[in-house]
Formats: sequence, structure tokens, C-alpha cells
Amino acid sequence: MRYWAVLLCLLATADCTQQARAQPAWGLPQLMESLARFRGGSASFTEQQTSPVLSAPLITTGTLTYVAPDYLSKVTTSPVPESFVLEQDRVTLTGGSAEGTHVFAINQDPRIAGLVEGIRGTLAGDLPALEQFYTVILSGSAGAWQLRLQPKQPALQRFVQSMVISGSEGRIAVIDTLSSDGSDATMRISAGDGTDAP
Amino acid sequence: MRHRFLALGLWLMLLAACGLIAGRTSYRTDMGDFLPSSASPAQQVLAGQVNGGAASHIVLLAIRGAPAAVLAALSRNLAPQLRHEPEFLDVLNGDDASFAGSQDYVWRNRYLLSPSVTPSAFSVAGLRGALDNDLAVLGSELGMVTGRSLPADPTGLTLNLMSQFDSGQGPAVQGGVWVSTDGATALVLVHTAAPGFDLDAQQHALAIIATDFALARAVTPKAGPAYLLMSGPGVFAVHTRDTTKSDVSRLSLLALAGAAGLLAFAYRSPRVLLLGLLPIASGALAAIAAVSLVFGFVHGITLGFGVTLIGESLDYAIYLFTQTARGGSPVETLARIWPTLRLGALTSIAGFSAMLFSSFTGFAQLGLFSIAGLIAAAATTRFVLPHFVPRGFFAGGAEPLANPAFMLIRHRREASGAVAVGLVVALAALLAHRGGMWDGNLLNLSPIPAAAQQLDQDLRHQLGVPDTRYFVVFRAPDAELALRESEGFAPVLGKLVATGQLGGFDLPSAILPSEQAQRARAAALPDAATLRANFTQAAAGLPFNVQAFAPFFAAVAAARTAPLLTSAGLPPALALELDSMLVRRGDTWVVMAPLRDVSNPGTVARALAPLGAGLVDLNHESDRLLATFQNQATALVVVGSLAILLLLLAGLRSLRRVAAVAAPLAAAVIMTSALLTLGGGKLSIFMVAGFLLIVAIGSNYCLFFERSAPGAPGWQRAVASIVLANLCTVAAYGLLSFSRIPVLHDIGVTVAIGTFLSLVCGAVLSTPKAVTP
Repeated sequence: MRYWAVLLCLLATADCTQQARAQPAWGLPQLMESLARFRGGSASFTEQQTSPVLSAPLITTGTLTYVAPDYLSKVTTSPVPESFVLEQDRVTLTGGSAEGTHVFAINQDPRIAGLVEGIRGTLAGDLPALEQFYTVILSGSAGAWQLRLQPKQPALQRFVQSMVISGSEGRIAVIDTLSSDGSDATMRISAGDGTDAP
Repeated sequence: MRHRFLALGLWLMLLAACGLIAGRTSYRTDMGDFLPSSASPAQQVLAGQVNGGAASHIVLLAIRGAPAAVLAALSRNLAPQLRHEPEFLDVLNGDDASFAGSQDYVWRNRYLLSPSVTPSAFSVAGLRGALDNDLAVLGSELGMVTGRSLPADPTGLTLNLMSQFDSGQGPAVQGGVWVSTDGATALVLVHTAAPGFDLDAQQHALAIIATDFALARAVTPKAGPAYLLMSGPGVFAVHTRDTTKSDVSRLSLLALAGAAGLLAFAYRSPRVLLLGLLPIASGALAAIAAVSLVFGFVHGITLGFGVTLIGESLDYAIYLFTQTARGGSPVETLARIWPTLRLGALTSIAGFSAMLFSSFTGFAQLGLFSIAGLIAAAATTRFVLPHFVPRGFFAGGAEPLANPAFMLIRHRREASGAVAVGLVVALAALLAHRGGMWDGNLLNLSPIPAAAQQLDQDLRHQLGVPDTRYFVVFRAPDAELALRESEGFAPVLGKLVATGQLGGFDLPSAILPSEQAQRARAAALPDAATLRANFTQAAAGLPFNVQAFAPFFAAVAAARTAPLLTSAGLPPALALELDSMLVRRGDTWVVMAPLRDVSNPGTVARALAPLGAGLVDLNHESDRLLATFQNQATALVVVGSLAILLLLLAGLRSLRRVAAVAAPLAAAVIMTSALLTLGGGKLSIFMVAGFLLIVAIGSNYCLFFERSAPGAPGWQRAVASIVLANLCTVAAYGLLSFSRIPVLHDIGVTVAIGTFLSLVCGAVLSTPKAVTP
């Protein structure tokens, strides 16, 4: 009887170690790794914005496209057509409020660089890029994680209070940006055709 | 005896008068004062930009030698310190404070500054359009940043105005400040309060930057190995002055030591050595006084260069002292050599007189300086010097120095063959020279080392402040009209930007609109009740919260009664920019508005012509100015040489004797230019000026050689004096050729080689047949 007990315990330990080897502890490095594995694709999005200047939420819809590691486009189809294309560190803005096309480098303005890198850094699973601008806090599990980005620089803090990105495994589902003036933008990314959504 | 005291008294009185005038003279270093008085408006723009334009206030700082994060921290510590110093108008390092002054000015005065402020913009339809636009702004990816100002500025004036002020080419921001893309350099742009030509103030400002940098480095962790590089017009000017000063003082001390050593060996009398300086010292003093009286000021270049031109007056004393025979009297010597000395001085004066007619004020000053200086030096030699020579003085050491010359003259038949061969080889080399004799590259004349020029270009590129090349230039009778005209250019230039002919532009009216425009804008703003009613109507059906726009209603109400903007109320950086674009010249106002990235100058010029404005290309203008400068300098040397020939003809009254004097000089100049262009080298404009000096100094040698035959009494003393004079000249000018400043180096090497060859050729070709005793 005593032997059985000892044997069971040994088996259980062996099983535990085996389990640990097969499924390592899940954390930021693992999330970043699985995010980085995603090489690109398109998905439709719906963004809902509230702001002190708005009497009702503003809904915008369009398509997001990402190609690893540094191409990102956000084409808004309604209410006002606009396109925002980021290639490496160059932004090209067309339509919307701007007349014609505007091209500029994101790192000329730390606020714009922060906003853009928050999203692109998450998509690319690039922790050093994220940590350049934000304090990164992870919660949840691999199946339902939440990444909280809090700006480090005062210039960015004046505009962004926090950015919360949530998703499952290597996919991003919601980007919620809370601004320091009380406005809030929640972007939901639908799985699109299901095969290559970000 | 009475005669002697009269001469001395007169000399002292004149010297005192000259000293008095020289002491009260204003000395200028402004480039504009050296330029032709008849300069085209475009060239005046060039001079204005070089001297006092906003660009001349720029100092570019590069902090290197540490990791990017450390460099950024260093820059963050340095900038606030510099901002406290009154020597700087603004300090830009990419942080928030960098643009705070301009941004605040634009934000507070947006309703007076913006051309979009029209009655229709505040109508229901106008506001509706603005609000539609605002929805797009909020929905945009960057809405979080760009939408922040909507409650106070729903018509989006500030965004448009700021895009006008910002060329959009700034460097990347890392750690809150500008850091180059490779992370190796933190970049800072400083505008000094003093213009670039105020060298003392610039030097002071640069010293403050260096001190503040050392302080910032001390308080920044891990910044020990970081170092600072500076560039910009003021940095270059100060550096050039330092190099010139150190070169001139170091080399002239050496030259003085060399010449003094030779003279001490020859004279063996310190008193006579010092006496030898009297002619040139008196000459320089008289020259300064003359230029000051005629022109009202003396240019720094005239002063520095003029003394080089009257260097031959050192020779006058050498001729007098050395040619005095043992037991002879200097007064008698002078009587004997005076006709030759006088002719020599007159030929030089004739050579330099051509400069008086130059359109370059600087050349004309140099002409007068050398003429007055040589006359005074010759007169001092003639009337003053002999009376001071100690009784029984004899330059015992001179003749041994001249031994090689005596040998050369003894074998001059064979030597003349060698000179002929040398001349033929030199002519052949000059004819075979490929790729042009003249150095047309302005940068090679520049005293700024190539590495420093490269650093400046790199920093300008990284900071997005290219050297402006194109300017729109027009005139107006007063500042208000100039600003109104400037407002007329905005749409025309805007169209050129939209069609890609132009990258961007700055206009004075963007900083300070005309009073007329400001009044019209204030009048276009509706009263509070109308604005609120229009706005509410425009927002109907849109998801806007009208209450949130209270800051907008308040700002418009304030702007309606705000005092008009004046140049006195501008932040310093914008005031500097306005001052360099809107300049008063006599009773007219000139607008010089810089254009960026002109892709097609012809199209731009055609678009501007109907508005009565010209497009000025600074590169073209400076090239043209340099070409005029070179052409004139060459013409002056040719005309000067002809004048010398004519004077020799008048003085010697014999073509054969003129040829005996002029031929060695021509041979010397030809051989010198062949030597200077050996191996594909090019002649600089300074070398051409050196040719005139060769002729001026060398003609004295040849006149003395030609005057007495070997074996005649005093012949040996004459040859010894020429050799001594030449040794001193070669020592002095030869040392100048070691200078890092192109003008000093070029003149030094040319005159040292040329006068030595003049001595050799003169000894061989000018010396008459020996007299048989």
C-alpha cells in the first residue's frame, strides 16, 4: 500500500514535469511571439468614438490591412472616405479632412509616433518598440488576453491616457484608446474572411 | 641743417595727423562694403543674406560620442540652459519648448493671421463645411491628436497656419528631442541674437554654447565621452578669423625673425634694423588715413591685404643702407640712388593705380592704400631716413650674401641660355596645360576646410534647413504696401506648390499680415449672437455638442476687438525671420522671400513676372559676382602691367632699356605661372594679384641691375642690396605660403617664387656689359 502511494506520487511528478515541458508558462514573450508569427492580411473594422464635442457616438467603418513587419493601412469607407497608409516610418494621408495627399514621417512628432507604434508594435509583436513609448501590462490568458499600454512620455500622455488591446492567441480583436480629454475610441476588428484577419 | 629739421618736423606732424585720422577711422568687415557699389539688386540680396539675414544667425550643433538615449538626455539638459542666455533668440532641439513661441503666437492670433478668415467662412454654409470637415478629422487615424483643438478652433485655422510655418522636413524625435536616424547625433539649431558678421559677438555666443555644453555634460549620467560639434556661418567666420590671426601672427613672427636675422647679419646694427621699418610704418599709417579720408571707412580686407601690397617699401631702406659705401654718407647715397628708387616706386604706383577705377569698393580702397602708402614710404626714405643713420654706418655683412649673384652675373652668357631654355619649357608647359588655367570653383577660394563644409551640409540635411538658393524679390515704397503685395503672392506661390513646381515658400505677410488684411479679417468675424446662431444652424443634424464649442465663441469675440499685430509684438525667432525677408533700403522696402525645392526655375520666374517680382538664384548670382571679380582682377593686372611699361618708357626714354628691365619680369611671371600650374594645378585669383606684386617688386631689382655695369663704382653694393632685399622678401612671403588661408598661401607662394626668379632673370638679362677699367 505504501509502495503504491509512492509510485503514484512519482508518476504524478513525472506527469507534472511532462506537462510543464509541453505547455510552458504563458506571458508577454509568448504573446509577442505568437503575434509576430502573423505575417499579414486584411479585415474589416468598426470604430465607435465618443467625445465631449460629440452629442452622439461617431461610427466609422472600413478595412485594415497589415503586412509584417511595417506596412499598415486603414481605409475608412464611411462616413467620410479616407486612407491612412504607414510604410516603414512614412505616413500617407489621403482624403478625409486633408485636401490632397499628405506625406510625413511619424517620428517627427512623438505623439503621432506613439499612436502609430502602439498599434503596429502590437501587430508585429515588437516588444522593444512598444516599450519605447509605453509601459506594457499583460493580463488574461493565451485564449483571451488584454494588453494595457500606458504612455511614458509626457507629450503623449497629454493626448493618450491608455490604449487597451485585447485578443485571442495571435489575433487582435479590439483596440480601445482612451484619450485624456475624455474621448474614447473603440475599434472592433472582425475576422473578415476568417483566414488572414489580423 | 635747417632743411633737416624742417623735414623731420613736417614728417612728425604728418605722422601725428595720420595717426589721429587712423584712430578715428571706422573699420568695417561687412562683405557688402567690399562689393561693387553698382551691384545689382540681386547681388545686394546676396550680400544682405550673407551679412545679416536670418540664415547668418544660425548655429548648428551636433552632439555625438554617446548612445542615442544619452545624447537625447544631454540635449534635453542643454537646451533649457541655452534658452536662459540672452545671446540666443531661440534654441530648437525638437522638444515641446522649441516651437512654443511661434505656436503660441499663431494660436493666439489665428483670426488675424489666417487668409481663410472671410465673411463667408462664418456663414451657416461656411461653418457647415467646417463641421463636416471636423467629423472627418475626428474619424481619422490621427483624430486623437489633430482633433484636440476642435472646441476652440473648429474652422481648423491653426492646422493650416502651422503647416505654412513648418517645412515638414524636421529630423526624427527620439527621447523627446531631435536625434539623427542612425542615432549617432543629437541635433540642435540655435539662432544667435547677433548677426553672423559680428564676429566678436559670435565668438562670445559660441563660447557660451561650449560652456553650457560642458555643464550639461557634467550633470548628464554617462555623458562623459560625448562631444559637441558646431557649424554655421558665424562658426565659419570666427574660425577663419582665428586661423588667419594665428597664421598671420605665427608666420609674421617667423618672417620677422627671418628677415631680421638676415638684416642683422648684413647691418650689424640694431638701430639701423629698426630704422628700416620707418618707411613701411609711415606708409601704412598714411595709407589708412588716405583711405579713411576718401572713403569714410577702411575695410578689414584693405587693411590686412594692403600692408602686403606695400611690402616693397621695406626694400627702400635696404637699398639706402646697403648701397652706402664704407666711409660714405647716406645722404650722398640717397642722392645717387634716388632717381632709380623714385622710378621704381612710380612704376609700382602706376601698377596699383589701375585698381582705383575698379567697381569693387575693396579694390579701389586697396589701390588708394598702396599708392598713398608707397608715396609716404618713398618720401620717408628720401627726406627722413638718411638723417637717422649713425655716422660711419656700413652694412658689412651684405656683400658675402650676394656672392652667388656675383657668380651668376660673371657667367651670365651661359646663364642666359639656361633662362631661355627655362622660358621655352615654361611656355610649352603652359600651352600644354589641360583643363583650363583658372580655378573657377568658389569653394577652393574659401578659407573653410573641406571637412567643415561637409559637416555643415550633413547637419543642414539632417535638420532640414538647406541653404536657400531661390528668392522672390520685389520692392515697395513702404512696409505696409510691401506686406500687401506679399499677400498677393501667396495664392500664386500656393498654386506653384500644388502643381509641384515648388516645395514651399515663406512670405513676410504670413508672419505679419498687412494692416489692411488684419482689419478686413477682424471685420469678417460676426458678433457673438450671429456666430452662435449660425453655428447652431450649421450643426443641425450633425452629432456635435454645440456647448462644447464655447472656447471658439470666446476666441472669435476676443479677436474682433484685439489690437492689430505689429512687428514689435513678434516672438524673437519670428521677428528675425521677418527682418530678413522685409528689409529697408534707403526709402524703399525690399521683400526677399525664400523658396524651397524649386524644381523648375523658368516656370516660377514666368509666374512671378506679371506681379512685378523677380526670381533670384543666389548660386547664379554668387557665380556671376565671382566671375566679375576674377575678370576685373585679371584686367587690373594687365592694365597695371601696361601702365608700368609706359612709365618705364617715360622714365628711361629708351626702348632698349625698357626691354632690358621688362623682359626679365615677363620671363619671371611666365616661369612662375608654369611652376604654379605644374602637374595640372590651377591659378587662383590671388595668384594673379601676386603677379602684380612680382612686377612691382621685381621692377626695382631690374632697374638697379640695369643702371650700373659690373666694375662700375657702387655696382657691388647695388647687387648686394638687391640680393638682401630679395632674401627678405622670399623669407617673408615664403613663410606666408605655409598658411592654411588660401589668400595668404597663394600670394605667399607666388611672390616668393616670382621675386626670386625676377632676381635671377634680372641679374642675367638686365645687367649691362661690364665696363673695362
